[in-house]
Amino acid sequence: MSSKTMNIVQSINSTLDYMMTRDTSIILLGEDIGIDGGVFRVTEGLQKKYGKERVIDMPLVELGIVGMAIGMSLTGLRAVPEIQFQDFIYTAFDQIVNQAAKMRYRSGGEYNVPMVLRTPYGGGIRGGLYHSQSGEAYFAHTAGLTVVTPSNPYDAKGLLIKSLRLNDPVIFLEPKKLYRSQKQEVPEEEYEIPIGKASLVHEGNDFTFITYGSMVPTVMNTVSKNNLDADVIDLRTLVPYDGETILNSVKKTGRVIIVHEAPRTLGMGSEISAFIAERAIDYLLGPILRVTGPDTPFPYRLEEHYLPNEMRILKAVHKMQQYR
Amino acid sequence: MDEKEKIIDGYRAMVLSRTLDKKIVMSQRQGRVGFYTPTMGQEATQVGLSMNLEDQDLIFEYYRDVPLMLHRGVKPETIIDQIIGNSDDKEKGRQMPSHYTAKDHNFMSVQSPVATNLPPAVGAAYSIKYQKKDGIVIATFGDGSTSTPDFHAALNLAAVFDLPVVFLCENNKWAISYPVEKQTRSEIWKKAEGYGMRGVLVDGNDLLEMYKVAKEEIDKVRVDGKPVLIEAVSYRMGPHSTSDDPSKYRTDDVKEGSDKDPIVIAERKLKMLNYIDDQAIEKIKVEAKERIDRIFDEREKIAAPKPETMFEDIFENSNWIIDEERGEIL
Repeated sequence: MSSKTMNIVQSINSTLDYMMTRDTSIILLGEDIGIDGGVFRVTEGLQKKYGKERVIDMPLVELGIVGMAIGMSLTGLRAVPEIQFQDFIYTAFDQIVNQAAKMRYRSGGEYNVPMVLRTPYGGGIRGGLYHSQSGEAYFAHTAGLTVVTPSNPYDAKGLLIKSLRLNDPVIFLEPKKLYRSQKQEVPEEEYEIPIGKASLVHEGNDFTFITYGSMVPTVMNTVSKNNLDADVIDLRTLVPYDGETILNSVKKTGRVIIVHEAPRTLGMGSEISAFIAERAIDYLLGPILRVTGPDTPFPYRLEEHYLPNEMRILKAVHKMQQYR
Repeated sequence: MDEKEKIIDGYRAMVLSRTLDKKIVMSQRQGRVGFYTPTMGQEATQVGLSMNLEDQDLIFEYYRDVPLMLHRGVKPETIIDQIIGNSDDKEKGRQMPSHYTAKDHNFMSVQSPVATNLPPAVGAAYSIKYQKKDGIVIATFGDGSTSTPDFHAALNLAAVFDLPVVFLCENNKWAISYPVEKQTRSEIWKKAEGYGMRGVLVDGNDLLEMYKVAKEEIDKVRVDGKPVLIEAVSYRMGPHSTSDDPSKYRTDDVKEGSDKDPIVIAERKLKMLNYIDDQAIEKIKVEAKERIDRIFDEREKIAAPKPETMFEDIFENSNWIIDEERGEIL
């Protein structure tokens, strides 16, 4: 089995390339994605290979990028719009929520929108308020959207291939902080990672950490550095999330700590903790704890205080250790 | 179909639409229908455009486009099923009345937020061009829509990419209670120039004029593949919807049968051309009324959609969350 060492940027780039060669209906559009290869270089070289008509440099209009992608996806193409930073997506929110997400339902299944909307999200790159947001909850709250976020190069490939084969809109959130921070062996042959299936990236008995995307390495480092006997669940898909894997782990450990970068109020952690409380409260040995970004805008100079880190995770661990 | 037949056929669709319109409004008053956005007054605009369309053309319509749909061959049954939301409705009774889908005639699915159909229409035109298919895209909207960011984005993008889109602004002078004079300081058709595309103004109350101007413009789009903005001026003779009382905000109503009514204008012109006479007009109207009355009574008897259909078509394949919720509710 041949493989290559890659970071997430290289993994997504080569996967797009692989899929575009095999599925001629795939078409890319976004700001600076062509000649410039994208501001994070995720689409580097693709315009040169596939042409300006298939890797489209777009005028500066997010609602137009997504709107056009929807129209393309309604008419025989499989559009992959890129929103340069997730922070810029909001003018396209109407298109995402009221067109893409509802098309299959409102047309009684006559129409569907096979679109994979890629966008880098999250902080950790000194981007301040408008280059750091984690808005996954907005999308997770909308019926009709599948929300995916890989945390490593291997998963990025398998999740992207699977997303590009779904016949419904996918919000593909790429943790930009991790774009180049880690390398991993990525098999050259194709493979799919199923939607709705979490990955148990570390196994143990005392704690269940539930996390995803940019926070996975932070949690993993904390666990290994401190020899915590813990399950770490990387959700990978936020909608639909993997309830089964969560429950199996919670029933084993009885102690749950949910970690995400997005603000706490009504973040994914709220949903997951309600889900656990509804179905496994008898197994819990202590309260469900959340370690998340605060309910503040994302600060520029103080981002290391905003982002959940080892110290804050350990604080939750110590609090949890009081419950036996 | 020769020119004369084509024009008479257009007139017939206008009458059919007007008849259906009045039937639905009356049924709403009788409590048989929940809601409706009447289309009365815009028949000539839509039919005049539709007379120039081909089967492969794609239409991103809005909620007042019943005449366009009927002229293009969508059956009144399809409209009525949607209005009632019965189990034969293609949308399975999910959308409030006036939000049609008719894929078999290349009509997209209507949404409520105005003008959000325009950027997807541009994407569809890109698709046609990219895949080297035949056909053009029609995107329709009202005067109020011209204030939205979607209108701006769509016109700019269609122009930048040289795409075959006909933007039809059905200027019926009113966006619910808000008059077009307050919607914009410029003339709508003239905005086209700012986007680098052709723009044209036409009397949307006059079937023959609309047919002629739309033909010139659509022929150009088919040849050069570039977009056009057509502003067709008509008048919303009815309220915005059955929930709206226009007497609160306007007094200049155009009454049915007055000399500003597009059907009256069409009849006058067709008679001048000796295409039809009073007897033929009467026959068309009687036939339309009998047809609509019969169909409406028939469709009303069809059962409501089954509750479980509420949980279908969210995704191609359902997921455990939806399955569980279905189990809890049903």
